[in-house]
Amino acid sequence: MLLSGFGEEGQRKLLKSKVLIAGCGALGTVVANTLARAGVGHLVIVDRDYIEITNLQRQILFDESDVENAIPKAVAAKEKIGSINSQIKVTAVVDDLNHTNIESMIEGCDVIVDGVDNFETRFLVNDVAVKHGVPYIYAGAVGVVGMCYTILPHLASPSVTSNGDPGPGDKRPAGGPCLRCIFEHAPPPGMNPTCDTVGVLGPVVSVIANYEAVEALKVITENWNAINRMMLHVDLWQNTMRQFAVTKAYEIGDCRCCKHRVFEYLDGKLGSSATTLCGRNAVQLTRNSADGHKLDFKDLASRLRSHCHIQVNKFMLRAAIIDGGHPYELTLFTDGRAIVKGTKQPEIAKSIYSKYVGG
Amino acid sequence: MSSAVTVLIPTALRPQVEGKESINLHGSSVKQIFASLTGEYPELGKRLFKSDSELNRFINVYLNDEDIRFLDNLDTAVSSGDELSIVPAIAGG
Repeated sequence: MLLSGFGEEGQRKLLKSKVLIAGCGALGTVVANTLARAGVGHLVIVDRDYIEITNLQRQILFDESDVENAIPKAVAAKEKIGSINSQIKVTAVVDDLNHTNIESMIEGCDVIVDGVDNFETRFLVNDVAVKHGVPYIYAGAVGVVGMCYTILPHLASPSVTSNGDPGPGDKRPAGGPCLRCIFEHAPPPGMNPTCDTVGVLGPVVSVIANYEAVEALKVITENWNAINRMMLHVDLWQNTMRQFAVTKAYEIGDCRCCKHRVFEYLDGKLGSSATTLCGRNAVQLTRNSADGHKLDFKDLASRLRSHCHIQVNKFMLRAAIIDGGHPYELTLFTDGRAIVKGTKQPEIAKSIYSKYVGG
Repeated sequence: MSSAVTVLIPTALRPQVEGKESINLHGSSVKQIFASLTGEYPELGKRLFKSDSELNRFINVYLNDEDIRFLDNLDTAVSSGDELSIVPAIAGG
């Protein structure tokens, strides 16, 4: 509040603001912690996953009891934040961010911050950010390196000029390139390091996530001139911080998303329902059900109990399955979504799901 | 004229270059530098290039701090002391 460019007015803007934290793992926990302490009025935390012991090295809102009790990340984050700053509102959403639900989650949000662990979801977030003109802070971290870039989308509303920039009444600066202007395609599986293959250093996560957080604070307090329009790249092992110029990516490029306004990820044309998870020998399966039918764990638990060891609470059912001599761990959520551990092959994961859950 | 340029290799691609963090090469354009680089390390070439003349679209190359796509792409001229950074998209988080 004492900071120049912030003041009481800035603090009030924070309190009135709503931020979507897309993913609450390494980056997401650090950002949520920082923004909650800063006084952001409403945090919407979306995460599909539960907490594992190996997460604790970097995912700062969680502890060993969360692992033992198999608490979903979004729920555990909400509980911790409640004891850090009880004055703010936190909405925990235990769900997969996908093209069917993301538009409802960004309603009223001033900014979206990146806490996801795969590029498919990032391109989905990028689509929704550009479509609705919501600033989106991209960040990624793996090994000893991390990146951060603030996307101020070109707007498409009656108040904008013909080139998509804000009109005279809008204080926002001209839009810049989106994530797909900069990286046209998602890296294919196996071509990029994951937390699985190279690990991730805790401090890299903290550094990058706090860059995200400060960019979010600038957006919320409308300190537009302070926003970094370059892409930051940090390597904490080689002790380098580089900034890359990216603005021409919009001007010269021919982006399908922000120049042609074709939202392939948001329209569900790109992106799949089976996702290999970063850092884990696991596949997530998403079930798109129009009827919103919830699974009945009681029936399923009684059926599975005769086959394998299971653990069940109101959020999830977890089964340790031996199939074909190979161990798998199947975690099932009430909406039918599943995480199959023990394989990186979507087909095997689907087979396990079909065999033990059905549908 | 041939110039000495430092190519910065990202962690992900170091296994293809015997673990080196950077490699100094001579050439007058990005294309020449990459020809020497991938000539010596063909496995790196397979990961960088989609075809002989096109880089994969999830990898960006910056000459100092400028994206070569918005200079003259692979024909961009290089000078002594320049740095070429190979920057893949980072997906972890």
